[in-house]
Amino acid sequence: MQRQTSLGRVVRVGLLTMVGLFFLFPIFWVFLMSFQTNQEILRIPPSLFFEPTLHNYQVLFSGRLETQTGTLEVRFMQNLMNSVILATSSVALSLVLGIPAAYAFARFKFRLGEDIAFTLLSFRFAPPLLVLLPLAIYFQQLGLINTYTGLIWVYQLITLPLILWIVRGYFEDISEDIEHAYRIDGNGWFKTFWKIAIPLAKPGIAAATLLSFIFAWNNFVFALILASADKQPVTVGALAFVTASGIQYGQIAASIVLSVTPTLALALYAQRYLVEGLSLGAVKG
Amino acid sequence: MATEAMTGAATNGAKRPLMRKVLPYLLSLPALLVCIGILIPFGTAAWYSMQRYNLAFPMTRGFIWFDNYIMLFQDPSFWHTVRVSLLYTFFTVGVQLLLGLGIALLLQRRTLFNNIMSILLLLPLMIAPAIASLMWRLMTNPNFGVLSYIVGLFGFTDFRWASAPSTALFTVVMIDTWVYTPFMMVLLLAGLRALPRQPFEAAELDGVPQSFVFFRITLPMLTPYIITAALFRMLESIQQFDIIYAMTQGGPGNTLMVFQVTAYLERYQYTNVGRSAAILMVLWVITFILSNIFIKQWLRLREKARGVA
Amino acid sequence: MTRKIHDLADAVVRRQLGRRDFIRRAGQMGIGAGAALYALNHAQSIAMAQNFDWQSHSGTSIKLLLNQHPYADAMIANLETFKAMTGIDVTYDVFPEDVYFDKVTAELSSGSTEYDVFMTGAYQTWQYGPAGWLVDLNEFIQDSAHTGPEYDWEDILPSLRASTAWSGVPGEALGGDGAKQWAIPWGFELNSIAYNRRVFDEHGLEPPTDMAELMETAAKITRDVDGMYGIGVRGSRSWATIHPGFLSGYSNFGERDFTMENGQLMAAMNTEGSKAFHRDWVQMIKESGPRDWSTYTWYQVGTDLGAGASGMIYDADILGYFMNGEGNAEAGNLAYAAFAPNPEAEAPTPNVWIWSLGMSNFSQRKDAGWLFMQWASSTDHALFGAREMDFVNPVRQSVWDDEAFQNRIAESYPGYLEQYQASAPGSRIYFTPQPLFFNLTTEWASSMQQMVGDQIPVDEGLDQLAESVNRQLRQAGL
Repeated sequence: MQRQTSLGRVVRVGLLTMVGLFFLFPIFWVFLMSFQTNQEILRIPPSLFFEPTLHNYQVLFSGRLETQTGTLEVRFMQNLMNSVILATSSVALSLVLGIPAAYAFARFKFRLGEDIAFTLLSFRFAPPLLVLLPLAIYFQQLGLINTYTGLIWVYQLITLPLILWIVRGYFEDISEDIEHAYRIDGNGWFKTFWKIAIPLAKPGIAAATLLSFIFAWNNFVFALILASADKQPVTVGALAFVTASGIQYGQIAASIVLSVTPTLALALYAQRYLVEGLSLGAVKG
Repeated sequence: MATEAMTGAATNGAKRPLMRKVLPYLLSLPALLVCIGILIPFGTAAWYSMQRYNLAFPMTRGFIWFDNYIMLFQDPSFWHTVRVSLLYTFFTVGVQLLLGLGIALLLQRRTLFNNIMSILLLLPLMIAPAIASLMWRLMTNPNFGVLSYIVGLFGFTDFRWASAPSTALFTVVMIDTWVYTPFMMVLLLAGLRALPRQPFEAAELDGVPQSFVFFRITLPMLTPYIITAALFRMLESIQQFDIIYAMTQGGPGNTLMVFQVTAYLERYQYTNVGRSAAILMVLWVITFILSNIFIKQWLRLREKARGVA
Repeated sequence: MTRKIHDLADAVVRRQLGRRDFIRRAGQMGIGAGAALYALNHAQSIAMAQNFDWQSHSGTSIKLLLNQHPYADAMIANLETFKAMTGIDVTYDVFPEDVYFDKVTAELSSGSTEYDVFMTGAYQTWQYGPAGWLVDLNEFIQDSAHTGPEYDWEDILPSLRASTAWSGVPGEALGGDGAKQWAIPWGFELNSIAYNRRVFDEHGLEPPTDMAELMETAAKITRDVDGMYGIGVRGSRSWATIHPGFLSGYSNFGERDFTMENGQLMAAMNTEGSKAFHRDWVQMIKESGPRDWSTYTWYQVGTDLGAGASGMIYDADILGYFMNGEGNAEAGNLAYAAFAPNPEAEAPTPNVWIWSLGMSNFSQRKDAGWLFMQWASSTDHALFGAREMDFVNPVRQSVWDDEAFQNRIAESYPGYLEQYQASAPGSRIYFTPQPLFFNLTTEWASSMQQMVGDQIPVDEGLDQLAESVNRQLRQAGL
């Protein structure tokens, strides 16, 4: 039995094409729409042919949308900035908190250890609305409402457990032997952690960073309920193109394209590690 | 930060045994402390769920023990919500598992093309479902929608997607599949690539048919990954909100009234805090049980891997 | 020259000069109508300032919560006038309409002191008022220490003033005795027919004059016009599906949402008349409505009309107004008609949606907030908005009487004024005020979706709806 018969290859290519079509055609279509006017988008039947325009992007960058009902102020760039601030800081904080904890769970057997790990992971799965219900009131009292700090804290619910889980799994895959050897050489615990364990866990950390960044980026309801307009991420901001004088599909499409760019860049950069890093602790050391 | 304090302590050889005991707590405590704050609003929400508490009727607010729950359990629409949520979870996870596994198998070999492809396939995950749904609504519009046009070419000229009771579930499951299959795929791909080589090499030498290899070697060895990925998605799927709310707000009729959509409407449109909290508590209990299974399963998977080693 | 135009403007304020003459003479001086009207506005603001101490809260800062809407745009465009006149600094947060009310509810229910004044609808005040989140504005309106002599509250259309006032007792009439003024009407919309005149002319169609004609015309368009369906109406699972065309037509047949029996609210959706109207409505949607009707909100109804996908809509008049402008394929082709579906009715009975201004009870700058509300709902600002911006429909009689406004509308939106004049007398809120408004109308919409989706026959669906509504009313203690 040969691995790749020519028939096998044809089937494989055919299947991959179908997969690619299903997952990427809608994105391709959105990409095209971002270069069309609303009138071209709203044609019956829809058509592939159009005169490309950069108008939608100009609106997003200039922050001004001229409609027949006047000039609308578009805060998309600010929203994009907020998304970057919120997602980046949340993930950064989660990494600072999560990597040492993940290391502790992976390397030490300690009383209540598994219970703490379980509690932390279960936060990921509590219904977010349940927490939001009273949280707005507490934030109000604590002065955390309408602040990045408050939001970044709540975002830990999304990012921290994910990082903990993936990175812990990866630490468990790395043999302790190298660390032992390094410590026998007279190096302290922290140095070992910093110089040996973390660099070895890079793929796991990269994969965890990317996935938690994506989940934080896509969040919608936290900022909507807990923050004022100047702190809203793109997910809420893009709804501003649903205007009284029509839905500006071209601009929504352009905002999707722009909002995907940072994440895609991150993903391509981390491409080597992404799959490798998600071993979840099942690979022997 | 705690880590700085530890640097000094760790180098101090005399304290090592004590250090060994305290260190893991020092390392994990900051993370726990940051998360533990969330328990306070959680407790408050549980408290709300035992009150008659509608913001529009401030006078009638009062503690009623479990009456909200009893009312829920007597309400057929609540059981409908449970049923729809479970159906939705079942279909999304089932379809995504099969599809994700299939794609992972296609991309199994470590080539640059496959790596790039796996990143590109992650694109749907990078578009927030709340915005992606706006686009799906346009693409499934019977007049301007490209998907309606395409299925029209295949003879489905009157396909109504999310707007007809018979196809609404199909449509949101499809969108969920579009968004989250990549996540499933990447977890399973990681699993596939981490499998030990020897059994496969041996099978190839012996000329064992590929279907046999798949069902007798690949699948059993991959099972722990499959269960982990499926449980993870299950926990998210049963809490689905963004896609369904943006597509149909739970309609048509009550077709898609899943847990979080029902609770959101109760809270932010009907201002019925008590009832909303009770619905979410029920959801929380379900997810708690599921995540318990999830974590036990994951620990077992780890032990098993250790055992093999 | 600048001084001259200001002198001229002052003359108008002193009522020595008509507006039309003012514009003409400004034109002779080489000043465009826009600039001239701006000068006039400025002069009026100063005049307002002379009779009332607008500077009393100078140095204060207030914050508004606004829905993304042309009314908010018009206000923002004129905001400098207010700041200059009062010395109050104003900041604002604008949220997209899709999430706007959820945001308002979230803010108010957490007792947030962030926002002082916010945009609201009348229906929302039936929830916010009893919850204790709103200030009864009567205390400001009636107090000459707070309200200037120029304000002229009575100039605001009586039905709108009544529709934003309620005693808080479920079922009691809006604007009745002991009613609290929960909000100030700002701009409003009533429901009528907007249609594609190009298509109507091509196919020899006339705007319908009753329900049978409406169904017939809609069916004809769906059948005869390629790629177009007959009638756009909303259908999403939301209260917004009930309140526009549907409730306007329903009320025209004398049908009600609730009746009072022995001091108790009872569902009235399952009367014979109601069932007959529902049957027609459901049939109309099935035959000639949008195919994905159950996801239709204001936006889809409007987009389809503007893009030439629907022949007419029975929805907010200003939706037809907005869709007639640039950027839409059918711009300039739309026309308007008042509509009374009941052949025996004397006049149309459009239900209205009123964008209003409400004051948060948690505001710590209520007096300054009221100064803003007073200015934003003043004749001056309404005139600016109506003439220069899309602040339609205005809520003040004096603005409807304004010639500049009339000319502008007559020129760009032929037939709109006639539609308005025929619709206005019967237009008001036809819902019975009660705090479960959103639950019950959402359920109503959901029930209608089931009827259209053939999940349940109309009569049976309405019986079930009425039963469920009554049960919820009793459960809530109403």
